[in-house]
Amino acid sequence: MSADVKITTARERVAAKHKHPVNQLFHDEATLGERVADHAAAGIGSWWFLIIQSFLIAIWVTLNSVEFFTHRWDLYPFILLNLMFTIQAAFTGPVLLLSGNRQAQKDRLRLEHTAEVAEVAEKATVEILKEIERNTEATLQVLEHLKKRRDSKSPSGAQS
Amino acid sequence: MAQADAPESHAVVHRLRQKHRNPNAAHKHPVNKAHYEEASRGARVADQVSAALGSWPFIIIQSVLLLAWAAVNYWGLFVRHWDPYPFILLNLVLSFQATYAGPIVLLAGNRHAQKDRITLEHMADEADKGEEQINRILVEIKKNTDLTLRILKELEAESA
Repeated sequence: MSADVKITTARERVAAKHKHPVNQLFHDEATLGERVADHAAAGIGSWWFLIIQSFLIAIWVTLNSVEFFTHRWDLYPFILLNLMFTIQAAFTGPVLLLSGNRQAQKDRLRLEHTAEVAEVAEKATVEILKEIERNTEATLQVLEHLKKRRDSKSPSGAQS
Repeated sequence: MAQADAPESHAVVHRLRQKHRNPNAAHKHPVNKAHYEEASRGARVADQVSAALGSWPFIIIQSVLLLAWAAVNYWGLFVRHWDPYPFILLNLVLSFQATYAGPIVLLAGNRHAQKDRITLEHMADEADKGEEQINRILVEIKKNTDLTLRILKELEAESA
C-alpha cells in the first residue's frame, strides 16, 4: 500500500475542511444551531438510537408488568409510555424537517454554484471556438499567399 | 493569490454566501428560479409551513409548552387540573401535532422530489447544448487541419 492512498472514515471526512465552496459554506461555516441540527438528525437517524430506544421500551414494560417490582409507575396499558412515544414522534417530525430544510438549502446553493461555474465554462468554450476560427482564418491566408506566390512564379519561368 | 482566477472564485463564494444567508435573494440557476421565484401559492405556503415546523423556535417553544403543561397538572400550580397524571389530553394534543407533521414532511419531500426531476431535465438540456458546442469546435479544428494539410502539399510541390 502506498502512503498517499489513505482511506478515511466518514467521521474523518466530516471533520476535514472541504474543497467545494458549497460544502465549505454549509459545513465548515455552519452556525451553532445548524451544527446542533446536523448532530440531532444524525443521532436520531442511527442504529444506536433505535437499539437504545428498544432497550428502554423493553425495560419500561418489564418493570411495570412483573408483579415482583413494588414501585410500578405506569400499569397496563402503559398510558405514560404511550405519551413518551407521542413526545418522541412530536419531536422527530420537526427535527426531520429541520434536517430536510437544510438539505433543500444546500441543494439551492449547489444549483447556484453550478450556474456560476457553467457561465465561466461557456465563456471559455466560446473563446476557444473564436480562437480556432481566427487560426483557420490565418491558415487560409497563408494558403492564399502560397498560391499567389506559385501563380506568380510559374508563368514567368523557373527562376530558382 | 498567485492564481489569476483567485479573485473571481472569491467573488463566486461571496455571492454564494450572501444567497445562503438571505433565502429571498434572486437566483441565477433556471431551476432555482422556476422552483422558488415562480412557485404557485400552494407551493409557497408549503415551503413556509415546513420552514416554520422545521425550525429551532418551534422545537424550543414546543418543549417549553410541554414542560409547562406537565408541571401545572402534576404539581397543581393552579386550582383546577384539567389533565391529571398520566396526561391523556397532552397525549392527544401531541398525537394531533404528529398527525399533521407527517403529511407536511411528505409535502416538503414531494416538492423536493419535483425539483430534483426538473434539475435532471435541465441537466439533460445543458448536456445537449454542450455536445453541440463541442461538435462545432471539432468541425472547426478539422477544417483547420485540412487547410494546414493543403499548405503542406503546396510547400511539398514547391520544393519538389
